[in-house]
Amino acid sequence: MIAFIAFSFRRAWQGFRRNGLMSVAATATMVLMLVLLSSLMILLTGLNATLKSVEDEVQVVAYMRDSAPQSEISDLQTSLRNMPQVTQVGYVSKDQAYNDFVTRHPDQVDVIKSLPNNPMPASLRINLRDPKDYVDVAAYLKNNPGVERVLNIKQTVDQMVTVINVLRVGGVVILLVVGLIVLFIIVNTIRLAVVSRADEIEIMRLVGASDAFIRWPFVFEGAIVGLLGALITIGLLFPITALVSPYFKVLPVEAGLAVGQNIALIVLGSGVGIGVVGSYLSVRSYLHR
Amino acid sequence: MAPSGSNPSQIRDSDPPAETAPDPKPLGAMDTAEKPAQSARQARPVARAVKRPAMGTAKPAARPEERVTNRVVLAMQGVTKSYPNGRVALRGVDLIIPEGDFVFLVGPSGAGKSTVIKLVIRDELATKGSVLLDGRDLGKLKRRDVPKIRRKIGIVFQDFKLLPSKSVRDNVAFALEVIGTPRREITPAVDRALRVVGLTGQADQLPSQLSGGEQQRTAIARALVHNPRLFIADEPTGNLDPLISWEIIQLLLRINEMGVTVLMATHNAEVVTAVRKRVVALEDGRIVRDQVAAAYEREG
Repeated sequence: MIAFIAFSFRRAWQGFRRNGLMSVAATATMVLMLVLLSSLMILLTGLNATLKSVEDEVQVVAYMRDSAPQSEISDLQTSLRNMPQVTQVGYVSKDQAYNDFVTRHPDQVDVIKSLPNNPMPASLRINLRDPKDYVDVAAYLKNNPGVERVLNIKQTVDQMVTVINVLRVGGVVILLVVGLIVLFIIVNTIRLAVVSRADEIEIMRLVGASDAFIRWPFVFEGAIVGLLGALITIGLLFPITALVSPYFKVLPVEAGLAVGQNIALIVLGSGVGIGVVGSYLSVRSYLHR
Repeated sequence: MAPSGSNPSQIRDSDPPAETAPDPKPLGAMDTAEKPAQSARQARPVARAVKRPAMGTAKPAARPEERVTNRVVLAMQGVTKSYPNGRVALRGVDLIIPEGDFVFLVGPSGAGKSTVIKLVIRDELATKGSVLLDGRDLGKLKRRDVPKIRRKIGIVFQDFKLLPSKSVRDNVAFALEVIGTPRREITPAVDRALRVVGLTGQADQLPSQLSGGEQQRTAIARALVHNPRLFIADEPTGNLDPLISWEIIQLLLRINEMGVTVLMATHNAEVVTAVRKRVVALEDGRIVRDQVAAAYEREG
């Protein structure tokens, strides 16, 4: 068994070296396709992170009556925190709201100062797990006696949700389509490399080599192509991401090293995986005759 | 050519390539497997020597002494082969090849020679009838046992089918490597095969550096290196000029004298007529002639 594996590896390495042009072509195809695939994945990761941060911005704002007692407000806060749709509940007091207004609109300080008392209401700012829950939470707040009114941004939220969904689904669809194209192109290149050695396979069959002896060297060779292609791709990706990542810094999310590691693993896995599966399938068509 | 030594192993000993001492697997294994048949094999060449002058039309069935005394390497019984496109390549073919025989398979193109060979190496299956190689029914063989039965066969073709990137030695060794022969057994077996075909000096050259005859010798060495029960040559001289063809035939005859059964498909009438071995003639999928020590065409 060990002798068999050693034999297969030796033959795979020989095959890779001796069929230089085909090996280079297959590896180059593998690199180009993996770069395409991983760049797309990096872009989609950035897109998803952006969409997520936009979603997190969605807040339900409930203005409280001035008459509402403090105990009622904290009861409401507690019950809101217990709602599964809610991630965070923030309280902005009247004074805070006044200060916020002053800092935000320094030109209108005179106007607000001319009023007899603080016109700004206290408010609760509720962050949602999912923007779609906006309606539920808003309805719950409206029924509370302490709440004067709920800021109505339903239309904006609906539009945003629609756009985000289109972008997300579109991204996944494009990734799948490109992934399939990449798969076909790589498998085809490997198939060409195997076809160019049909003579060798025929001789093996004629002298009575078992299917395993014919198949595994080719499968290992596919793994070598995949591994080499993946390593080159990863080598290319690091300078590329280093070049691009400053532009991602504006995002409020961490789209840097962690993503890089995931992508590297995916590239490695898919490179070796496609190499192995492609060779297996290509040789298979020569065995079952 | 006349079988002077009646014991095949003696012939091997006297032959330069024989070298019986460090010979772990191939020939040794064959000998032990055939202990019971040993005496029969000793008797065989004598029987043939007696038969040869009586140049006749004897069919296999009419040679009871050989059927009884020899193991049968190949037996085809009532074999019909029709291809999916409707073409019928063989119609009720009966062919028995005893061990040690040398058989020419002749006939015009499309007569069914290639189909016979494809059936013997189990590249195709018979539509009707049975093909037995070394006692195994190829029609009932499991798929995973096909490689094992192929190891009983050595085959060479008109186009040599050598791997251009491998040296002569590596081409021959390849046949053993891919069937999982341990490395220590490969080198002596390859050396022996190369000595039989007389290519020891060219062992490290590439096929492109060899003449056509030398390339075919390399292919023959590769087909012999695992000590097959049946050696098949499919138009081995088709790409060679007459002089070189004759050398190849001499080599095949010598291999036959070493005890290997040979089945050779050919168009080469000159060679067939000169050698005077058993001739099986196919025409339109039927055996129209099966003669010992025959000419290419029917005489008289």
